[in-house]
Amino acid sequence: MSKLSRPPQGESLGLTNCPTCKFLCHLDQGSCPRCGQAVQSRDRTSVQKSWALLITAAILLFPANLYPITIMTSQGQVRQDTIFSGINHLVHLDLLPIAIILFTASILVPMLKIFGLALYLTAISYRLPISKKTLMAGFHIIEWIGRWSMLDLFVISITAALINMGQIWDAKPAPAATAFALVILLTQLAAKVLDTRLLWDRLESKDDTN
Amino acid sequence: MKTEVLDKSIVLCRACDLVVRKRALPTGVRALCPRCHTNLYDTPYCSVNGMLALCITALVLYFPANFFPVLEMHFLGSIRTTTIAGGAMAVAAQGYWVVGIAVLVAAVIAPGLLILSILTQVLIVKYRLKIPFFRNIYKKLLKQHSLLAQLSMLEIYMISIFVSVFQLSDYTDLYFGIGTFCFTMLFIMVIFMQREYDIEHMWSVLDE
Repeated sequence: MSKLSRPPQGESLGLTNCPTCKFLCHLDQGSCPRCGQAVQSRDRTSVQKSWALLITAAILLFPANLYPITIMTSQGQVRQDTIFSGINHLVHLDLLPIAIILFTASILVPMLKIFGLALYLTAISYRLPISKKTLMAGFHIIEWIGRWSMLDLFVISITAALINMGQIWDAKPAPAATAFALVILLTQLAAKVLDTRLLWDRLESKDDTN
Repeated sequence: MKTEVLDKSIVLCRACDLVVRKRALPTGVRALCPRCHTNLYDTPYCSVNGMLALCITALVLYFPANFFPVLEMHFLGSIRTTTIAGGAMAVAAQGYWVVGIAVLVAAVIAPGLLILSILTQVLIVKYRLKIPFFRNIYKKLLKQHSLLAQLSMLEIYMISIFVSVFQLSDYTDLYFGIGTFCFTMLFIMVIFMQREYDIEHMWSVLDE
């Protein structure tokens, strides 16, 4: 027990959690005795996978925000709304609470998620002046709040199903909807594949008292 | 021998791999990782019979919640209704099948499978845990659980219904039917079911 100069991690004891059932496994066993899943101390390729998914999501964020997401026909007049103009329209209709909910779910959350994950991934590879506790707290928030972006798609599906009266009143989804759905899917996957233990391996290298 | 004692007395943080000594906890208290504040474990609170009751109720509610319309709209004398799946189909019919599938999976398929999966697990734990065939099924279900739980988004759909109602109520009259009621009850049942359910505890049943 001479390694107590750094906080003891499972890796140094030859132990790890099973990725599926969280059973405490010995690394030399190779697979989990309870559920049969192969065990591995760290998934070092997960940073690359996560980056790949994240970059794809970041690219898709542009079509998702620049193209219209709904096409509304009202008494013969057609209006195409992007995510932002739709929210803007709601503000003009004095539906401020709804506008805030939609703004959070469809603009703020995806952008924060991509930005936050990029920061987290950068922090794994390079030294950043941000405490790891903050990063980890941010990661948990991202993981939890990410799914709420689905709100916009649900609302679109409800309105598209209800409002179908041809020239009089009609609502349809538009190209950005697919891009937006993919942004949600890819960012959720990016957070899911990432092995967060990689960040904490760097903890012992001097500047971290946090 | 010594390593076995060690295995029982420590727990590894799944987010940062820190070795933490296990302690007995009073009920209703969670243990957090001292380094990164990730949830480590809590006291097992998983009444099998309670979950069975919740599962059956949820399953009974699932069908009316999905077959009766969740929203009804009256506009210039014509009535439009939609079910959850109907909404997904309407989007898919316009060519946005990615969106349609996402809606269908998150609000219909995943919650249904989640309820069925938990019901099967509970029944196996209650009656058939000793038989290897059922043990295998049980393990397979537990492995899929976190994915299903993550995919099912009833709570978000609930809020979406409210958002749609507020958006549309300026233009037209909206009515809630029996479907809305069943969906709300289903949502409440699933919330309680997931609160009661503890995956670590379900896994530890296998060790006994």
